Amino acid sequence: MSGRAIEINGRKVWILESGNGAPLLYLHGFADVHSVKESWLPFHEQLAQHARVIAPAHPGCAQTDENKDVDVIEDVVFHYLEVLDALNLTQFDLIGSCVGGWIAAELAVRHPEKIRKLVLIGASGLFVQGALIGDIFMMAQPEYGSSYATLREMLFCSADHPMALEMFPDGKGELEDEVRRYQMLRLSSRIGFKPPYFYNHSLRNRLHRITSPTLVIWGGKDNFVPRSHGETYAKLIPNCSELKIIPGAGHSAQVENPEETAKSMMDFLAK
Amino acid sequence: MKPVQLFCWHFMAYPYLAKDFDEKEYSGWVTVPNRLWDNAKARGLYQEYIDQLVYADELGFDGMVLNEHHQNIYGLMPSPNLIAAALTQNTSRGKIIILGNLLPLHLNPMRVAEEYAMLDQMSHGRLVAGFAPGGGPETFNYDVPSANTREKFWEAADLIVRSWTEDGPFAHEGRYFPLRYVNLWPKPLQKPFPPVWIPGSRSPSTMTEVAKRGYCYFLSSRSHGGETHRAQQEFAAVLEKHGDKYHPFRFGILMSTYVAETDQQAREECEEGVWYFLKNCLKGHLRREGRQLTYGPGVPYIPAAAWREYLKGYTPGRKLLGDVENWEELEASQSIIVGSPETVTRRIQSLIEKAKVGNLLIQFQLGNMPDHLARKSMKLFAEKVAPALRQGSLKQFNEEYPGMNFEQSAAALH
Repeated sequence: MSGRAIEINGRKVWILESGNGAPLLYLHGFADVHSVKESWLPFHEQLAQHARVIAPAHPGCAQTDENKDVDVIEDVVFHYLEVLDALNLTQFDLIGSCVGGWIAAELAVRHPEKIRKLVLIGASGLFVQGALIGDIFMMAQPEYGSSYATLREMLFCSADHPMALEMFPDGKGELEDEVRRYQMLRLSSRIGFKPPYFYNHSLRNRLHRITSPTLVIWGGKDNFVPRSHGETYAKLIPNCSELKIIPGAGHSAQVENPEETAKSMMDFLAK
Repeated sequence: MKPVQLFCWHFMAYPYLAKDFDEKEYSGWVTVPNRLWDNAKARGLYQEYIDQLVYADELGFDGMVLNEHHQNIYGLMPSPNLIAAALTQNTSRGKIIILGNLLPLHLNPMRVAEEYAMLDQMSHGRLVAGFAPGGGPETFNYDVPSANTREKFWEAADLIVRSWTEDGPFAHEGRYFPLRYVNLWPKPLQKPFPPVWIPGSRSPSTMTEVAKRGYCYFLSSRSHGGETHRAQQEFAAVLEKHGDKYHPFRFGILMSTYVAETDQQAREECEEGVWYFLKNCLKGHLRREGRQLTYGPGVPYIPAAAWREYLKGYTPGRKLLGDVENWEELEASQSIIVGSPETVTRRIQSLIEKAKVGNLLIQFQLGNMPDHLARKSMKLFAEKVAPALRQGSLKQFNEEYPGMNFEQSAAALH
């Protein structure tokens, strides 16, 4: 694994990279590298055995500079178009989790030709009537002085999942983990706090533009982005093979069940 | 030279909660179920509260203080300007301090500029214009994205003051509130413009922005241990850095008090209202119980580097004001000062001496405190506490700040 900073338009972007093979761009979510952890989780390591995994930190996350001009998802999409140019990535596999999945879908509808294969894991981004995406900001406010149980419950199958407890402990966690969590919430507040809440109303009617083979993965018990969002992605993306449910997992399937999630993904990418 | 300014602050709490509210309900803020609102009981409540403020004016307080809150039982003033309008018609001497309108919650800051200008005219120049960014709960009330709250706030505040001082029409080419035609009718009465007060909780950036503009800094903390004195010193240092000088009327604090004939009687009379306030009104705001919305990573309005510094000194699960378990702990918090006129005078006097503060914003009505007790306490304060505080502070300020001009310095603007 190596970390490095590249510069786009005068702003620093922090990137982790690992493995050899076809380029695979990974866009992170909340319980993830860059948004909690400094380095790879087991899921990323498994991917890196088969591909060149490239994971940039979103604007304002980890060591990527904050961009105060980010108001809407479109601003993040343009940020990533510049990252792709700087990395000279013209054709690549794209995997996004949660907010990262939203960004991935937005990139795919604009530049379907750049994406070889697309994987969305618990992706936000869609408006689905009657299935509001959860309020992660309120859950991130402490209960009973120091409990983050409801935050863990939103991001995982249960508040007691070992990875949930490691990444979002009660009280005060490891300082830099806490700062990264805060940075991810701060970026998210720019694009997902004010209505639209983590969605772009226009995205749904653009999904037909995606040409790449697509796999949608959802935790069987996602308490943050309801499963009907996964069903909607799977239905409206023309070349989507299936909505793969990881039984027992919550919103962070790749963290809760890295083996099965990585295997589904590798099988799909190798096909 | 003037003595300490004593203002009467009313929060207008919802006083009709059942005794088991704390046991049954998760929060007093944002999500507190509004089925608890009782129309039969609440009829006439606003009038009772307005009349208490009018009484403060009659008793010779230097002014009345209002503020803005939404969706809670702590303060029933989503629009303090409506209450202020009523006060312009029912009072004649005291300042009307609105602390403040929550600027990022307004679609267009010109609405605040206009309403404040109206209030300044309607009150014959008695308005003190407070601007506040709103805290955690308000972020959730109106879905204000936290990351740019502060920038939006200062753009709005500057636009409002510019609209009061510069001839229109002019175009405002702002990042958040671009407007083609800024042309205020009416203009405010006070020149160059009404005094501006800004609340803060010791953040260096807020102090700096306030200092740059020559405004009054109001410490929004409810507890007054060593922190109040430190805040004063920090603000004084920031002012020095900007070529300005501290004086007591650049600074204000919020405190609560209850005065009765004796210490014992004071405690007995106010205790129910005090506990109602601490356990119900502060639940969701300054209590660990339930979910505390005021500070936390879910309202990420300060930059990440500042958050890192904050975390270094942060103790998870620490006691907040509403977590005090007994009267002794409450006394130690220096938040609600209860006692005979002598006790209250001595304790507030010592606070003024240490914190060198010229604006005391005092809450008398606490929680579900009945009207007659709130009034009795206000009257005793006005007659038996205020004169000594005025006399003592005048002497102190004369010695410590000889020859200071205490008016708002217009030159410091921009």
